[in-house]
This record gives sequence, C-alpha cells and structure tokens, in this order.
Amino acid sequence: MSEDTTSAVSKNVFSKDLLDACISCGFCLPACPTYALTGQEQSSPRGRITLMRMLETGELPADDSTLAEESSLCLGCRACETVCPAGVQYGHLLEEWRDEQWSGSKRPWIVRPLLLVANRKWVLRLLGLARRSARKRETSTQTTLMLGCFERALFPSVSRNLAALDPTLAVDPDQGCCGALHAHNGDLEQGRDLARALGERLPGTIVTTSGGCAAHLADVIGRDRVVEASEWLLKQNTDTAKTERPLRVGLQDSCHLRNGLGVWQEPRELLGRTATYVELPSAGSCCGAAGTYALVRKKESKAILAKKIAEIEAADLDLVIAVNPGCLRQLQTGLRKSKSRTKAVHIVDYLRGRQP
Amino acid sequence: MDKISPAAVADLRALLGDRVLTEPGALAAYGRDATPLFRHAPDVVVQPLTTEEVAGVMRIATRHRVPVTTRGAGTNLCAATVPLSGGIVLSTMRMTALLEVSREEMLTVCQPGVTAGALNRAAATEGLIYVPDPGSKEASTIGGNVATCAGGLRGLKYGVTRQYVLGLEAVLPDGEVIRTGGRLVKDVAGYDLTRLLVGSEGTLAVITEITMALVPNPAAARYGVAYFESMTDASVAVRDIVASGPAPATLEFMDAVCIAAVEDFAHLGLRLDAGALLLFGDDGEPDAVDRSVARMAEVCAGRATHIELAASVAAAEDLLAARRCNLPALARSGSMTILEDVTVPRPKLAEMVAFVAATAEKHGVRIGTFGHAGDGNLHPTAVVDADDPAATAAAVAAFDDIFRHAVDLGGTITGEHGVGAAKLPYLEHRLGPEQMALLRRIKGAFDPLGLLNPGKLGS
Repeated sequence: MSEDTTSAVSKNVFSKDLLDACISCGFCLPACPTYALTGQEQSSPRGRITLMRMLETGELPADDSTLAEESSLCLGCRACETVCPAGVQYGHLLEEWRDEQWSGSKRPWIVRPLLLVANRKWVLRLLGLARRSARKRETSTQTTLMLGCFERALFPSVSRNLAALDPTLAVDPDQGCCGALHAHNGDLEQGRDLARALGERLPGTIVTTSGGCAAHLADVIGRDRVVEASEWLLKQNTDTAKTERPLRVGLQDSCHLRNGLGVWQEPRELLGRTATYVELPSAGSCCGAAGTYALVRKKESKAILAKKIAEIEAADLDLVIAVNPGCLRQLQTGLRKSKSRTKAVHIVDYLRGRQP
Repeated sequence: MDKISPAAVADLRALLGDRVLTEPGALAAYGRDATPLFRHAPDVVVQPLTTEEVAGVMRIATRHRVPVTTRGAGTNLCAATVPLSGGIVLSTMRMTALLEVSREEMLTVCQPGVTAGALNRAAATEGLIYVPDPGSKEASTIGGNVATCAGGLRGLKYGVTRQYVLGLEAVLPDGEVIRTGGRLVKDVAGYDLTRLLVGSEGTLAVITEITMALVPNPAAARYGVAYFESMTDASVAVRDIVASGPAPATLEFMDAVCIAAVEDFAHLGLRLDAGALLLFGDDGEPDAVDRSVARMAEVCAGRATHIELAASVAAAEDLLAARRCNLPALARSGSMTILEDVTVPRPKLAEMVAFVAATAEKHGVRIGTFGHAGDGNLHPTAVVDADDPAATAAAVAAFDDIFRHAVDLGGTITGEHGVGAAKLPYLEHRLGPEQMALLRRIKGAFDPLGLLNPGKLGS
C-alpha cells in the first residue's frame, strides 16, 4: 500500500482552501471540453488540480512541461464548476495557476501587446473615438454603461445600441479595462487592481455587454454592482425591436456569464419574445474563443469551433446570438469561413433591430 | 517491480504512436483515482482505440513482463485503478464507440469507454433505460461499471450491474481475445465467465466490448419522505416495508449528520430535528406506483414522526437530489472524506447502524451514514482533516472495526464500490482462507504471470 505522503513544503502558489476543496471524484470529466478533445486525465479539471497540487508541494518542478502545456490548454470556461459537487472554485485556481505559470517572460508573446493596450486608458478612448462607440452622456441615474476595451474597437455598434435602447444609462468614455484579460492571462494583481479602479470610476451599477467582463468585475467589486446587458434589459422591461419576418435564432452562451454568474435564462427569454428560439445542443459549452485562447491555442480553438459551426449549420439558423464580444468574433470567423447563411450578432445589436 | 524498459516503451510507440504518454506530469495525473490516501504513478499510459490494439498492448506487456492496470474514468472509491506496481495504465477513455442499441432485443453493444450517462441517453431514444445508476453515472464508464459491478439507487427492485451484462469481449494477458455469453437471456454452455469477469477489477482480463440488457422506461415514478427519531426506527421501517409487498425501486436513508449537511448545502427544507430520513419511491404503471407509495407511507406511519409525499415531479427531484448530494455535502465540511460501503442482511440493518454510531464515538471520528437501506448497503463517511495524521488514523481504525462487525453480522466489506487496494486487507476476513486460495488459483489460470492489476483481487 502506498500512502499519500503530502509534503509539508508549500510553494504558496495556490490558496490552500481552494486547492483542498477538490475530492477528486471525477464528476467534472464529462463537462470539460479539453478532456473531450484528448481523453487524457491531465487535461481534465481533476487531473489539472492533481498537477496544481504537485506544483504546490514541489513534486513537479515549476518548469515541468505538462504544467506548462495544461495551464495553457485549459479554456478557463468553468463548465466544471457547474457540475462540481464539492464546490471547487476552478476559475480562481486557474487564475492563481496562470499567475505563476504565465508570469513575466513566461507569458505567451501573443497576449502581451493586448495587455499593454488594455492598460492604457487613452488608447482605449482613442479607439472608441475612432470607431464611434457610445458617446459621453450624463444621466440622473447611478447606472453606467461599461465600454469593453476591445469591443470599442471591434464592435462599436454594441455600446451605441445599448445606449440607444436605454436612455437612462450614463456613458463615461474615460474608463479603463476591467482587468479580466489580465486576470485570465497570468497577471491577477493587475487584473484585480483594474477592476477596483473601474469600480471607483463608475460608482453605482455597472451594465456590461460582455459576459467575461461581467464575471470578473462581479468577482472583485461585488455581484450586486454588476449587471449584464440581457439581465438589465429584461429587468428594465426595455422595448426591443420587432423583426419583420420570424427568424430562427439560436444562442451561444458566454461561459463566464453562465458558469460564473448563473445568467443563461435571461438572453433566452429576450430572444424567445422576438423570434423562433432554437436551443443549440451545446449552447452552454465553450465555442473555443475563451478570451485569448483563440490566439494562444489556435489548433484546439479551431477544433472546438468546428463542432459548434457544424451544429449551427444543422440547426439551419438565420442568426446565432452572442452575449460576449469574444464569442461573437469567434462565431463570425467560423461562419464566414464555412460560407454559412447564418450570421452571428451581439444580443444588443439584435434587440435594437440593427443586425447586419 | 522495475521501471518499464525503453524497449517496451518503443514497442508501445510503434503500436500506438502518440497515444503513449510518458511525461512525468501526465503519469502523475494517472497516479490516483477517486480514492483518498492511495497514490502511485504508472511508468507509461496508453490509449488504445480497438480490441486489436488492446491485444497488441497485452502482447507487449507479456513479452516484457510489464504490469497493466486498466482504467476507465477513474471514479472508483477503492483504489482499483491505482497502479501500485507502476507499469502500464491502459486507458479505455478513447474506446467510446456505441455500436448498437436494439429496441427489438432490448440490449446495447458498446466499447468500454462509453459513459453510463451517454448509454442512458442513447437508450432513451428507443424508449429504454440502462438500469444501474451509480452516483458517478455521468462520468463513469461502462467498462468500469462492469469491472466493479457498480450498484446505485435502484438495486432492491432491479439488481445491480451483474444482472444486466449479457456478454463480454475481453483480452487475456497473452493477447488472446475471448467472447463470453452473447445476446441471449438463456445460455448455460460452459462456466459463467461473464459473471466471473463482472467485478473482477481488471485482474483477469481487459474488457473490450460489452453487451448489456436494457429495460423499458417506466411510465411513472413517485417518491415520498419519512422522518424518524432514529436510524434504528428507520431501519425497522425498511424491514417492514420490504416484508409488506413487492420490492420498491427506492429505499434510501440518511442520518442526522447527513440531513444537516445536505440542508446546509442544498436548502431543500429538510427537517433538522429528525434523527433519520427515509426516501421511498417506486416506478412502473401509474396505478401500481400510487398503490406502492401509499403502502410504504402506511407502513411507516406507526414509527415515523412526519411523512410527506412529493406532490410534483420537481418535489420528487428535490428529494432525489437531497439523497444524491450526501457525499458532496459532507465533503464540504472537511478536507478529506473517506467513504465506505459495508452491507449487511436487511434484518441486521438497525444493529449495524447502531454499531457505526457507537464506533464513531469510540474513536472520536465524525461519521455521517447514508445509504441504500433497502439493500442493507451503508455508506458511513468519515470527514477528516487531511493535514491531521492522527484523525486519519482514527478513521482508519474505526472502519477496521466496522468492516469486521459487518462480516460478523453475515454482511460484507463492500456492497458496490469494490475491493481494490483499499479493502484487500479485509478480504480474507470476508471470504476465508480456502476461498482466498481458490481466488488465487483462478487468477493464476487467467494471468499466470500476474501482470493484470497486481496488488488487487487474487494477488
């Protein structure tokens, strides 16, 4: 019999209570998209926690190749958290892991310029000006629209349309990044600092058009201050556009919105009011965008996306709706490449009736 | 045993290409399953896709004298898949073909890596169900379920995995492929090797294909809950229910420790002043189910402090959820849980339950007990601080007493989890020296070199 000889040495990479919570039951295995790709234990949430534990005790050296590979192969989608009976906060563990694994020069080179851009408020402001995202507006309410940093450049219509749908929302272009990008890419401290700074800059309720930002921001400044756009529009009972012909519309959940904040019914309800809503079989699982994953792990990201696109094609949809800019970009890329008739649209653009 | 030789690894690579893992991190991940306290990394992990590839792996293992531990999802709770002697871990997780679901013959044929959950969903498309439903069914594989003879919440009425396995294809250690049983309900040609392989924990052969009976999906199901002052009262009610008519599908109970943990976790409105909770239920034709549930409530009425029948499907789901979340709810209250699986004849249930409580107190261990009361199958679960070796030792000592007492009552050391490495020290107490010797001779007949899962059954 070989007994567990947990070494007393601790590297303090991880919060002990987070790491101790896993009972290794393996219930997370079927929920994990990367485990589905490889069928290998070390690519499962349980296997990765085993790796984290061995990093923590020093049983595996910090430069071990499997540690590097698996901390990067994980999507960070947190689907495992929704099926975990022991309540393991895997998303937080991954952030702590990447904080060690991707610190400084170990960070994938491709994400470094993104973090640099997101760190600079004036760059974001310029991007927004150039691309005509929502303009500065003061209102009497204590509710402000959050302007996603890359959304300002990539999908400026989203913030414009949300501001138009709800005139009570204040807009302050002089806001920075929420830090989700940093927290998920090995700079947890900066990620939290940015979220706190944003929370101070925008007092009161913050409405976001990005599931990923919403979950990170809620985690740092409190869930009660953060509302995602579909949640907000439903709560405000906002008048949304009616389409002329009945459309077949599907949804791609944002992983962090669904798995982190438990928001998934709201967008479905909004879509069901205006269209023939079709639930995609894997609507709740990751599309492979996963923040910077589509850049860092191109091959796996494409493999996951390919299955998703095939599913959308089979459902014969007019539109597939995203609630996060990263997912939107991923779906648009996949649909364009496969010359699909289906268009990917942000839920806010769709509800304003401004889909392409 | 010695580390695997580079020549053996080269042979495996020639056969399987990149489906051979040797990185230390990967090996470490395969060094444990869902069982606490047991860890040992293999030297290499292989991921075959077909029976032929499994046979090839076994021929290489035999040629180089390397031990082989077969592993599915690794959700077992007896360290059955921890490779205690290193060597090869043969993962079946890429053998996921669901070959057939036949409504006409009411059976399915699949590779071992299909999960019980996936099999159930496939069966449902033909109006059938796969009956055994261990708590791990969404994650655990059919191969693993067969190798450990998994049980679940429907054992009393429907039996366990062994009742549903019609035929197996398996690879012997020298690479020969055998097919036992088949698609027949009746077949007495030869020794029942199918039943011998069920529950053999990968010590006799590598199961590569399973033919499994399915049953029609019951039209209706109803559930109720009865609260008692003590587990003893609940145990007596269970005995009386079973004696009063046809066996119902579900008779599950939990003690006050579990009720408190579940309520704290799931907020289902359970009665915290009760000493025991009994979940009862049945399935089948609607009229028959109503009669069965009413009869069970009536039998409980004399002893129970409260009885509630689930008025809706949602309420029934809540009750089942309450039972299913016992382990995680307990697990949240400490850093390590040791879950056991003793089983006694139903009339001895009350006595065993009392013994568990007294033993927990004697050793100063916090033990919550829940289980499949109708099957006499208890899951006493110790919650301990993993960093406190004295607490772990006390829990191990308490379970030592519990195992021995269960056997003395005519029961067994494990009802459905398996022996693995965790309960091997108690196996002789259960079987006696003559049967242990026979087990070893059977093991020797299948696996003369002792390559398959050494340190487990028959070793």
